Amino acid sequence: MSHGDDDHGTGNFSLVGKRVPRKEDIRLTQGRGQYFADLKMPDALHIVFVRSSRAHAEIVSIDTEAAKAAPGVVAVFTGDDIKDRITPLPHPIVVPNLPGKFPKHWPLAVGRVKFNGEPVAVVLATDRYLAEDAAELVEVEYSDLPYVGSPEAAMAPGAPVIHQDLDNNEIFSMSFTGGGTAEGAAANEAEISAILEGAPVIVDEKFQVHRTGITPLETRGAAAWWNEDDGLTCWITTQRPHIDRLALAEVLGLSTSMVRVMAPRDQGGGFGNKAPFYRESILIPWLAMTLKRPVRWLESREESLMVIGQERDQRIHITMGTTEEGRILGMRVRIVADNGDGCQGVYWGFVMPVLGAATFCSGYDIAKADIRLACYVTNKPSLAPSRSFGSYSPRFAMERMMDLVAARVGRSPLDIRRLNLVKSFPYTTATGSYLDSGDYVKCFNTLVDTMDPKAFRERQAELRKQGRFIGLGFSTGTEISGIASKVFVQLENQPGYGSATVRIDARGRVQVLEGDAPQGTSHETTFSQVAAEVLGIQFDDVVVQTGDTQNTPFASGSLGARGGSYTVSAVYNACRSLRFKMARIFIHDRRINARPEDIEFEGGFVFPSLDRENKMGFAELADRIIMKPIDLPEGEQAGLEATDYFEAPTSMFYFGAHSCIVEVFPKTGQFKIQRYVTCEDAGTVINPLIVEGQVQGGVIQGLSNAMFEQYLYDDQGQQMTTTLEGYRMAQAPDMPHVEVTHSYTPCPGTPLGSRGLGEGVPGPVPGALVNAVCDALSPFGIKINDLPLRPDRIWHMLGGPDGIREPEGRGMAGG
Amino acid sequence: MSIQPITFETTVNGETVEVTVPPRLLLVDLLRDRLGLTGTHVGCTFEAVCGACTVHLDGVAVKSCSVLAAQAAGRQVVSIEGLASKENPHPLQSAFQQTHALQCGYCTPGIIMSMAEFLRENPDPNEEEIRFALAGNICRCTGYSHIVEAVQIAARELRGKTQEKRA
Repeated sequence: MSHGDDDHGTGNFSLVGKRVPRKEDIRLTQGRGQYFADLKMPDALHIVFVRSSRAHAEIVSIDTEAAKAAPGVVAVFTGDDIKDRITPLPHPIVVPNLPGKFPKHWPLAVGRVKFNGEPVAVVLATDRYLAEDAAELVEVEYSDLPYVGSPEAAMAPGAPVIHQDLDNNEIFSMSFTGGGTAEGAAANEAEISAILEGAPVIVDEKFQVHRTGITPLETRGAAAWWNEDDGLTCWITTQRPHIDRLALAEVLGLSTSMVRVMAPRDQGGGFGNKAPFYRESILIPWLAMTLKRPVRWLESREESLMVIGQERDQRIHITMGTTEEGRILGMRVRIVADNGDGCQGVYWGFVMPVLGAATFCSGYDIAKADIRLACYVTNKPSLAPSRSFGSYSPRFAMERMMDLVAARVGRSPLDIRRLNLVKSFPYTTATGSYLDSGDYVKCFNTLVDTMDPKAFRERQAELRKQGRFIGLGFSTGTEISGIASKVFVQLENQPGYGSATVRIDARGRVQVLEGDAPQGTSHETTFSQVAAEVLGIQFDDVVVQTGDTQNTPFASGSLGARGGSYTVSAVYNACRSLRFKMARIFIHDRRINARPEDIEFEGGFVFPSLDRENKMGFAELADRIIMKPIDLPEGEQAGLEATDYFEAPTSMFYFGAHSCIVEVFPKTGQFKIQRYVTCEDAGTVINPLIVEGQVQGGVIQGLSNAMFEQYLYDDQGQQMTTTLEGYRMAQAPDMPHVEVTHSYTPCPGTPLGSRGLGEGVPGPVPGALVNAVCDALSPFGIKINDLPLRPDRIWHMLGGPDGIREPEGRGMAGG
Repeated sequence: MSIQPITFETTVNGETVEVTVPPRLLLVDLLRDRLGLTGTHVGCTFEAVCGACTVHLDGVAVKSCSVLAAQAAGRQVVSIEGLASKENPHPLQSAFQQTHALQCGYCTPGIIMSMAEFLRENPDPNEEEIRFALAGNICRCTGYSHIVEAVQIAARELRGKTQEKRA
């Protein structure tokens, strides 16, 4: 089969590759979604947390008497009440295979509070309004400790040590180059120093990205009930119900057979935020067990903004040595992350920057690098996963570096990228990332052609004469497309395979069971497309059910763009295996001389490809195998059910390039994005409509993080952005239309040739945006290496209150 | 300290109901918790920014997290469940599916209610007008492009229907 760019490798398919409208949308547009908050739990007690009003303090006393006496209140618990009844984290199931430290903690603060918003007590009442009233009556007396609000403060000599069970505030430190031993890292460091000393050009730059992330519109929730015979049943807003189940059993000391976790069918966005094993997810099931009553907690937006969704927050120092032409010879990178308290199962704050460091080189061919990361505990909530997992800041730094190198050697940023992008595959980066396949330069050039830089430069020159300043910026990024077990076991002690069970019933209807839990990621539609395609039946005859640990195969969770790479491949393989079984029995029954591959499945019928009239209905054949299991071929069993655990032979990466045109208004520092275009290589696109949506959403999230969103703390560690008024997310009038274009190369590692896409889309965004703004302002010689990018900062850089500087006659040569 | 509940009648999705509720109960909680209409969602802590709870009160789009249930006494409330029927969806509902204008769908009912009112006021909006009309609703997933497209398609269809009626 030829793989033309037009059909993205799907020319022979009837459903795969088509813009199929989603089956999820009928219920979701009509108000029949079943999100966590919509689930009915008669007689459930409502839970409200009392959260720390201090960033760092000893808890002197907690008076719960008035709260306990308040109307409707059934119970109040504090850290002291639970610390001998729940074992603290860390537990092995939620500890990654990384050389970090894992601070001991309970679901409620014990002894000290370590950030503003940490849970201190919990109130259970018959009504949510009454629980909130009672929570106000809990009196906590604190004795303040010095606030440690930055990595610099945390590493300073004599800094207060936040976790008493750790020696100091450094929670993680590692070299990602040099082979994993101290001697190897030292030798590598010396080698890179020598390369840099001998390099004709050195570019040395520091970057900083603020604390922000992709908080979903639906907050978290957990509900649980206890039954003496069946144990715990829990609803949790989660991306990984099977991991939550194992973790809950381990922490609560229950047999796994006594724990069932269900992710609600509909979840209002996750973006990584619903992947950790949070303290609340431990406490709520424990309360159900202890009180023997159903309990329910729904997080408020204020709580959400105080305690989760905070990522990025890295300082990055890059020293790059290049040739006179800008070819990279070697690179030293020092990353420091503001880890927050780190008390969060699975990720502990530092797993995100770890992955960012491990994929730091992205799609660039950098033969020699010395990359180190250090993470420091501070009095803020733990970093929590957000889309572009640890890589948003590294991508920004690398993409700014490309433009800064270009300016330094006097070449266009386009040429510098073309010169340094990886060109031959497979390719192993300096940190050991295995880039499996693709054509990065082709993808980048496709985007460049769309943007027509020559025409742009003419327009730019023309407008500058009129005192108007437009700019063009580019960026690129790779993204892990699912994580192979080989990598994932090392990173998080979890398997990377994608799994699915496919069942065909006696009426020819198909059920796909998935252990992961989608959160708006269109699994029902894409998996139905693939199952219907393979089995030759109607899209509507397939039902996809997800997220219930009682009936789905084990899976590590909906994360890392696994859906379109790993899980969909498991669906495909399971359907293929059932198709072959049906074909074998069909051949046997019809006594024809054919191989299973010669039997076609199409339009609800099964027939030999060379004898289309000799057909049988798909449902009829299913009924024969399930309901009439007599005279089966030798060795064949009845029934039509298959489970597949898909593992790719190598890790797989997706590549994307972004470009942005802005106009900047120097008098105010304001800027307007005139155009935003991406070019993606996602391999075989299963549903272009969905891929387009994933890219557009990811770009706007990236812009929103870069331009608006920022978690702010005052000098005492009070979180000042606890409403959506203070924590500003992008709204429609703020944002441009995002044009999505494609450059297709098949992915050899998956049966359909598809790559997973979506998770990493925000990563390249700030690079394209800031490069465009700096290009627009090149007559002013502006260099922006910090985020967020706000008009007031641009205005200050241009002279601000002292008056806007005059632009130079001509700017730096652009691409 | 206990405040007496109040009793009043209100019409929700065409049906008049008598309810007895605490005076401080929010309209969104009346709809969701007392009447079981869970298509109306909550995405902020009642700061009225996210717009997921948008319903119509006497035909005007309001954020039901910022209205007391008691303020609906004697008035007409329409929520996403009452906008159209499953068999005959509102053109906005069909267009949202057709253009993939939703991913997680959490914001969608609020946006559809908000846009249904907007299109009554402005039946032929351009992209900029649609984007400004969407300022009261946050969508975290889609990046808004497909939503704008859906509203344009629905506007065309609604204009066609209006012309049919006149003809």
